[in-house]
Amino acid sequence: MLRARIKRSLPGFELNVELSLERELMAILGPSGSGKTMTLQCIAGLTKPDEGYIELDGQVLFDSTARVNLPPQKRRVGFVFQNYALFPLMTVAENIAYSIRCLPKSEIRAKISHLLNIMNISPLSERYPRQLSAGQQQRAAIARALAPDPAMLLLDEPFSALDPQLKERLELELLALQQGYQGSMLLVTHDLAEGYKLGGRVAVYHGGSIAQCDTRQRVFSTPVNRTVARLTGVHNFMDGEISRLEPPFGWVNIPAWNMQLKAHLPASGLSIGRQVVLGIRPEYIQINPPARATNMIGARVLQAVEGIASVTYRLLVDGDWRERHLLNSLLPKADEQLLAEKEPCQLHLPPEHLIVIPE
Amino acid sequence: MSDYLPPIWVSLRTVLTATSITFILGILAARWLVRYSGRLKDILDGLFILPMVLPPTVVGYALLMFFGVHGPAGQFLANFGFKMVFSWWGTVVAAVIMSFPLMYMTARGAFEQVEPNLQDAARTLGASEWRVFWTVTLPMAWPGVVAGTVLALARTLGEFGATLMLAGNIPGRTTTIPVAIYFAIQSGDNHRAGVLTMVVLAFSLTSLIFIGFWKRRSKRKGMLGN
Repeated sequence: MLRARIKRSLPGFELNVELSLERELMAILGPSGSGKTMTLQCIAGLTKPDEGYIELDGQVLFDSTARVNLPPQKRRVGFVFQNYALFPLMTVAENIAYSIRCLPKSEIRAKISHLLNIMNISPLSERYPRQLSAGQQQRAAIARALAPDPAMLLLDEPFSALDPQLKERLELELLALQQGYQGSMLLVTHDLAEGYKLGGRVAVYHGGSIAQCDTRQRVFSTPVNRTVARLTGVHNFMDGEISRLEPPFGWVNIPAWNMQLKAHLPASGLSIGRQVVLGIRPEYIQINPPARATNMIGARVLQAVEGIASVTYRLLVDGDWRERHLLNSLLPKADEQLLAEKEPCQLHLPPEHLIVIPE
Repeated sequence: MSDYLPPIWVSLRTVLTATSITFILGILAARWLVRYSGRLKDILDGLFILPMVLPPTVVGYALLMFFGVHGPAGQFLANFGFKMVFSWWGTVVAAVIMSFPLMYMTARGAFEQVEPNLQDAARTLGASEWRVFWTVTLPMAWPGVVAGTVLALARTLGEFGATLMLAGNIPGRTTTIPVAIYFAIQSGDNHRAGVLTMVVLAFSLTSLIFIGFWKRRSKRKGMLGN
């Protein structure tokens, strides 16, 4: 269990975060330069916070008021580096054995073979890091970090150097590993899908502070502000004002389009007249639905980009010539003809997928 | 032939002793300054490199003042009945001072090139700072350290000015090869100077070839950064 309050100032940047982890896997999600890696370094003792308090399983690792600052050697925190940082002049087995040389020989051997086994790299124990693929290096790095039985495991963008299929497999393996691990895991990523898949809870970083930290469902369905919404993949925003309540729904007046949209309201009390921002993920905009429904608007295709299994459209809503309300939509490719550019269409914004963000 | 041997023998002993001392001092100074982040960092760095940019006679004069009868080190050593000036140890001290910057600079550069993540990884795995140095930093920087050692060795072999001022020219005791060459020319013995020159030339060229070979080999083994 980790409790951390970290403050650290650099020229032009300030990290100021509070984290609390149980035995779980939490993902830190955020753009580069938002302080994700620095948070891990502060927890591991590789960087000293200016101010704060870090406690792991009841042991104080850092306390600026009591002037406690345990060196990384004494923190029992495992670290998997972005580039894995395996020792190039040692074999995989030597890398893993690095932290456990004080145990009896037979125990060391048993431990190495156990770790090689759970990471599926048993045949590679005598190889050097340069003889391993990126995926094998990552497995070796995790095995090495787990060797001294750390109370917590920190993973700094562990999947960023891997190709998509391998990444998918290693993500599943990490989830399986986490099931059997008795400590907390903190994983840094800038990949939304990865953060959602792996993190039971997600902390969204922005500019050195945590914009939102909650279960992944709540972070992705009810972002607390426009920044979090944008960072979690909401690309379409509409400014409006609540005009009518119809719990659990409400109607939002969108002046730019001169129309009302029905949306699912968050539990917190929003009253009539409240300024809000509506957001919708590109995946949820339906184009030319089979039947008429609420929240239909006319639009025109500005650009269509075809992907492997989906099409991305940039859409211009009718009557909005200022081009401020371009919508992006990402649809699974259907059998019917793709829409051509300039073609008029009807959009459906399903009320249950409209995100209401209080401004 | 036996005429050529005394300077070669003196140089050999001086070179081996001085290089060993420079090796250890240079590595320690480099490791210390890489980790040190205080206000005096630039001053210390300049001080360590200073002998390289000074004329050897200036260094020799400073050493003479420092170790002389009235110098602080000279008076201190006199308590033990030891005289540095005009002794064989004078050739060693002069060679160490003059070769130290090369060893220090090369080792420091090599230490700074070692990826910080590797050292951090070792720390999170519980390794003490000295163990990090012995098992990660030094092995990774080893090619650079060896190159620095060879450069320092060549410099100790070629040391002339400071050696002559501190240790003088006592045949069989303080007359190193460069000093012997100088005095051979002075007395018109061009043949003796030529033979000793060839010895130095052969040795220095071999050292440089060795460095090149070593660097290529280390690159293959994955050292020397990326």
